Amino acid sequence: GVLAHLEMLEAQAHELALKQEETEQQEEKLARLKARVQELRVQRDELRAKRELQQKQLLEKGGVVTDLAQHSAQSVLEWKIKSIKAMLQVFYLTGISGKLTKRGVCFCISTAYEGTYLDCYHLDVLTKPEVQIQRHSVPIFIPLEQIANKYLQTDIGRFLSVLSDHLNAYAGRRYQADQLEEHFSDLIEGTLQRNSLCNLLVFNYNVSRDSKTFPFSAKLLYGDLCCSLPTEVIVSCTPNAPASLAEIAAAHSDVFRRMALHKAFHSFSNAKETQD
Amino acid sequence: MDEIVAEYIRRTVLKIPRDEIMTVLQKWGLLSETQLQTINFRQTKDSISQDVVQLCEENSVDIKQAAVLDIIYNHIYPNKRVWSVYQMNKMGEETDFFDFTDFKKKFKRRLQSALKNVTINFREYEDNAIWIRIAWGTPYKKPNQYKTSYVVYHSQTPYVFISASVLKSNLPLLCQALVVASNYHDIREMELRSHCLNSLKDIVFKRYSQNFQTYYPRQERNVAAENVDLRIIQENRNEKERIQRVNREVFGDGPQPKLEFAQYKLETMFKSDPKMDVLETKEPFRCLVKFSSPHLLESLKSLAPAGMADAPLSPLLTCIPQKARNYFRIRERKGFLPGSFVSP
Repeated sequence: GVLAHLEMLEAQAHELALKQEETEQQEEKLARLKARVQELRVQRDELRAKRELQQKQLLEKGGVVTDLAQHSAQSVLEWKIKSIKAMLQVFYLTGISGKLTKRGVCFCISTAYEGTYLDCYHLDVLTKPEVQIQRHSVPIFIPLEQIANKYLQTDIGRFLSVLSDHLNAYAGRRYQADQLEEHFSDLIEGTLQRNSLCNLLVFNYNVSRDSKTFPFSAKLLYGDLCCSLPTEVIVSCTPNAPASLAEIAAAHSDVFRRMALHKAFHSFSNAKETQD
Repeated sequence: MDEIVAEYIRRTVLKIPRDEIMTVLQKWGLLSETQLQTINFRQTKDSISQDVVQLCEENSVDIKQAAVLDIIYNHIYPNKRVWSVYQMNKMGEETDFFDFTDFKKKFKRRLQSALKNVTINFREYEDNAIWIRIAWGTPYKKPNQYKTSYVVYHSQTPYVFISASVLKSNLPLLCQALVVASNYHDIREMELRSHCLNSLKDIVFKRYSQNFQTYYPRQERNVAAENVDLRIIQENRNEKERIQRVNREVFGDGPQPKLEFAQYKLETMFKSDPKMDVLETKEPFRCLVKFSSPHLLESLKSLAPAGMADAPLSPLLTCIPQKARNYFRIRERKGFLPGSFVSP
């Protein structure tokens, strides 16, 4: 009936009044907090200005002694930082460096070939409950598992050393092949055939003598994965070639065995120049 | 020229986007430059493909040469296929020289001794990737060029990427030929599948960016240029920075490998309020959870910074690249079950 309706309206009005009061309270609170923020900011700015003034005064007044003391302390610190950075760089340049982590050590093996720094590879090694490799960025064709099975548990130094040898040799072989492709592409016929480990290289190249070019083919096998020079070289020319060419083939074979690939080709072009 | 070959070439050319047809044909090298110049690339693709077939007629292209066109197409557009990763196992420790010619010979011999009616093509690429295309026939029918499997293999690695086609029954044959040719012992399928071949390679070859703690070389972290409005004060700057740090530790700095889904098969017991009395049986509640995304790992990486998940994320999600799997089976007690080793 009407009374019930009136009751309902009264209740609604009451609710609305409560809500309004609540909003008002919140707005008041917000305004107070804003004012407080302003106050604190002003205070902060005052204190900052005061501190700067004091510092300036100190510098002007304080005399040479405090100045020097401050300076020397700072310069000692800078010197320390510099020498630590240099030390870390030296460690990196030696090829094997590491950093302690929460659960073990993170090793960094950097590779280089004859003065050129190449890629670096990382290993996260855990020391508890036993020494194991948690994760790494070593290429899959490097026999990491084999090396780890042999040395990781017993002699971690040896493990790192052997792994470093493998990685450096691989980097060196790859570098030689890349250099060959980059700088002597005019002498190479077709493409240089290699595999992931760069331990088998097959290519055809031209040798020019007496203004004639002769095709040669070379096959280099790198039996020792820790070595960046081949263990076996087969250089051949066409079957019915003159004897002088066979001599050249033998000579080249010898050069490839002793010298880096791109340097060998360098020596060929030098020899050619001296001949012509 | 065979009708089958002509039709095959026509259909292959139709698959190529119009702007790329010239490049692909040049890579193929079967048609001379003068011949290629005669094609009008502004016609409809239908007409272009007809022109190409005509020119191939002049050159009497055979099925093996046409197959090379298919390899080139698939090499440029590998993401049209789904690739699975297989892992091979070797017993001994001998260093392998891996001779490509030797590999080809052994593979062909093994496969053809079991099934004569196959078309096998090999193609080597500069990144040491070997692409193998196999068109399957039956003992009584010639190879069907539309039923092909693709294999991508990097020498001296234990991983093979296979995109089989409809004919799953030929897979054991293929696996056996691979094992024999590459001097391995056995092969098993990994729980890793995706459309993006390069990302699968990144994951198993560990070419994706992992965050290693080192002192040197110091990589300059590119600090995101935050809008330096001094009036904006980050209330939870510490929390934001913590999330960024944790995220970086887990995902690394670089781009993530591209996967489209991760699937978790739950075989765990349903734990409910005993009062609810939902399941009377003591059997595991079978449930399959599948996450799909155009780029799953990037989206997982952005979950915590976007405020949609807590950092660190569940290791079930973050272990995907490291465990090299995106199919998981979760059992009750200890966690995940690695795939079982099966030799053909």
